Amino acid sequence: MRVTGIENGFRNRLRNSFANSPVILRWLMAGCVAVCLWLPVQAFAGGTINIYSHRQQILIQPFLDEFTKATGIQTKVVYASKGLAQRLQAEGAASPADVILTVDIARLAEYANLDLLASVESAVLTANIPAHLRASDNRWFGLSERARIVVTARDRVPADAIQRIEDLADAEWQQRICTRPGSHVYNRALMASLIAAHGAEAAQSWAEKLVANLARKPQGNDRAQAKAIFQGICDVAIMNSYYYGNMKFNDDAEQRSWADAIRLVFTNQADRGNHINISGGGVAKHSRNKQQAVAFLEFLTGEVAQQLYGTVNYEYPVNPAVAPPAELASWGPFKRDKLPIERLAELAPQAQMIIDRVGW
Amino acid sequence: MVATFLSNWSLASRQPIDKWSASTVVLCCFLLGPVAALLLTAFGDSGGLWTHLVDTVLGTYVVNTLALMGGVGVVAVLFGVSAAWVISRYDFTGRNILEWMLLLPAAIPAYIIGYCYTDFFEYAGPLQTALRTAFGWQTPRDYYFPEIRSLGGAMLVMASVLYPYIYMVTRIAFRLTPASLFEIALVHNKSQFWHVGLPLARPAIVAGLALVMMEVVSDFGTVEYFAVPTITLGIFNVWLGMNNLVAAAQISSVGFLFILGLLGLELYARSRQQYVSTSRTQNSPAALPTTPVGKLVCWLVCLVPLLFGFFIPLGVLLRFVLRGDLAADFLAIQPIVTNSVMVAIAAAIVIMLIASLIVLTAAFRAGPKLRKLALMSSTGYAFPGTILAIGVLIYAGYIDHGLRFLSGGMISSFLIASMGLLLLAYVVRFQAVGYGAMLSGVRRLPKNLMSASRVLGHGYVASLRQVILPLLKSSFLAGLMLVFVDIMKELPMTLLLRPFDFETLATYTYQFAKDEMLEQAALPALMIVLTGLIPVILMSAMLRRYR
Repeated sequence: MRVTGIENGFRNRLRNSFANSPVILRWLMAGCVAVCLWLPVQAFAGGTINIYSHRQQILIQPFLDEFTKATGIQTKVVYASKGLAQRLQAEGAASPADVILTVDIARLAEYANLDLLASVESAVLTANIPAHLRASDNRWFGLSERARIVVTARDRVPADAIQRIEDLADAEWQQRICTRPGSHVYNRALMASLIAAHGAEAAQSWAEKLVANLARKPQGNDRAQAKAIFQGICDVAIMNSYYYGNMKFNDDAEQRSWADAIRLVFTNQADRGNHINISGGGVAKHSRNKQQAVAFLEFLTGEVAQQLYGTVNYEYPVNPAVAPPAELASWGPFKRDKLPIERLAELAPQAQMIIDRVGW
Repeated sequence: MVATFLSNWSLASRQPIDKWSASTVVLCCFLLGPVAALLLTAFGDSGGLWTHLVDTVLGTYVVNTLALMGGVGVVAVLFGVSAAWVISRYDFTGRNILEWMLLLPAAIPAYIIGYCYTDFFEYAGPLQTALRTAFGWQTPRDYYFPEIRSLGGAMLVMASVLYPYIYMVTRIAFRLTPASLFEIALVHNKSQFWHVGLPLARPAIVAGLALVMMEVVSDFGTVEYFAVPTITLGIFNVWLGMNNLVAAAQISSVGFLFILGLLGLELYARSRQQYVSTSRTQNSPAALPTTPVGKLVCWLVCLVPLLFGFFIPLGVLLRFVLRGDLAADFLAIQPIVTNSVMVAIAAAIVIMLIASLIVLTAAFRAGPKLRKLALMSSTGYAFPGTILAIGVLIYAGYIDHGLRFLSGGMISSFLIASMGLLLLAYVVRFQAVGYGAMLSGVRRLPKNLMSASRVLGHGYVASLRQVILPLLKSSFLAGLMLVFVDIMKELPMTLLLRPFDFETLATYTYQFAKDEMLEQAALPALMIVLTGLIPVILMSAMLRRYR
């Protein structure tokens, strides 16, 4: 009797508490169900490839449109500047990603180091891309070249005053140089190229002198350095060449005047050539659409897309058979540093340490 | 494992488990998952990188971070508390409008205000150009002008958009302070502000300040743009520059423990103080009349934060927007606006419900241990967004792996590559905002309210529904609004965790702003601000009803 009483009491209490139901819990459950119903379903259809891109969607959309036009294969994109490699890693075999696109060698190497890329056998890719711009194990491929050059004030610096990147360490440029922060990926790669050319010790001494020559604390992006030259804050800056094209043909008259104020200097033409970086790509290890993914990379190294790199963002084609568009050609032919591009990624940690030490 | 943990927990605290505390413990542990994943990562081998960091940049990182925290903290408290005080205590023309306008800067993302300020204050900007024209200066060497991209600039910019966190909760605290206490100060000829208002609002101010501090420590966009080498910048240099995620997780964890330490200190400092008011809340003090000079002071106190946090950035954005083709641009981003608003509303509701459950259980059902766990579960806010997103990814990877194993491969991916991942990240990060809002509300309630209701024969749920919840409506709405606006602005986690082809206003703005293409970034940025305004205005109107 007593036991039943307790049981009944317990049951009643239980029932009451559910009937009275915690308002919050009820709402919470309803909310969760609503959100789950709204989950978008990921497309795995054969005619679609999914792209993880470190390049902004606005800059790759023209390529995607051309690709879809040529092959009928649809594309979907997630763009993020950092962390996509960790996302791909966490997703593992369940990942929906097919293709990875990056804007520098360091990120590309990160994917390779985490073993997230598939080895691709493609005669087209091997033929279209010079050996020093792709991985020896065919896991990643350079798709466009980006030259990191020196720019000088047209009205204040004579045309041949700077010949080599090493010249920026000369005392002549004290208080006259502007750059973005040293730990930016472009400067880190440049630093790595100097380590490759001269060894760590000489590279560090170059960096120390460069920092001593800076006109202001490193800040802004490359475009901001051209602006600083225009404003007379400094006379010399380090910049990726495509920024020049972007400013020269900008809708904004202000930016066009920044481009007018600077002169492009391709460095080290008498020795190893100008330092270059690549934008590149690879096929995700667990891609379910490998064939289409490879087709996409092949398309990016073909005539149409290689031209587009030049016209959309003023980057140089990697494919030696494709001539750069007229505008790029007008900046003059130049000798490129033929250092195997993966060396830049290998030396990046060492470069960052030097940058930390000299406070660039 | 959870069961063992639960029983240990209950044994240790000698408290019977009921379904409220049990579900709260499970929920808190679930929310702590990404933080735990990061801490676990930090236990890896960083390859001796610390020696290098200590020898070179770590000192700079720490000094800059502390200076930024101090500077932003002081300015934000100054802005937030003084504005809250004049708004809630003085009667002056325009007070009703200023009361909600002061919240507007909360709608402006710190990374956008950084771009706007640089545009406004730099050499080619309107201010310096005007100065040069006025005084006939030719080059930058002719005059001194403070560099906006500096530590000081970052302090001003961040404090200008972060002070609403403090203003919002402090204003409610001032308003709910019983009139009788102010009268006592009057009788004893003591300052109403220093001796009554401020001490009693301390928990609210600290709750707001804690959010501001966590926001400062975790900010990446502003410090990167202003080139202020803080710990967060260091985290990214180590992670992306030296391919050392372990060391990056270690630095993040140290920053996280530092914030935890600060919170602990404050809790300890006031552990022997009681903040209980027994008078009815309707009995709030009448506003004081002001002299003409007093009016001017009141306006200044309200308009200075508004100028820095709202009017200047809005002006810069408008200048860019009006240059473009407004109608066509707007049509292009209309679906993105819908995306942003939908996600933010859904997530804000879920977050506020979770925060309410946790706060109410911790306050009325549980012992000190669960209260600590509840506080812990809101510390995800102290990690930089991208780093927390990586914690979320690792954690979601484990969960999916577990589910795949348990279901024998039936479920291949549950969280990964779905909207659920983003939602989880939002909850983990912004739970702190909801938690802070609800907690400061609960703190103001008399402790004996619940007991009285229970003694009078109501059950826990009935007491909640009939007594407690109605009194917490304003806190709930305040939290809902802050979380909504926060998610509208959120960038790094959305960027990394979103599904394919999914844009929010923040991600859409960023792809232009990243390359300093302010003309294209201005309209979506303005839309973030405008969509943020609607709930601010709506909920302020609702809050006024619950005064």
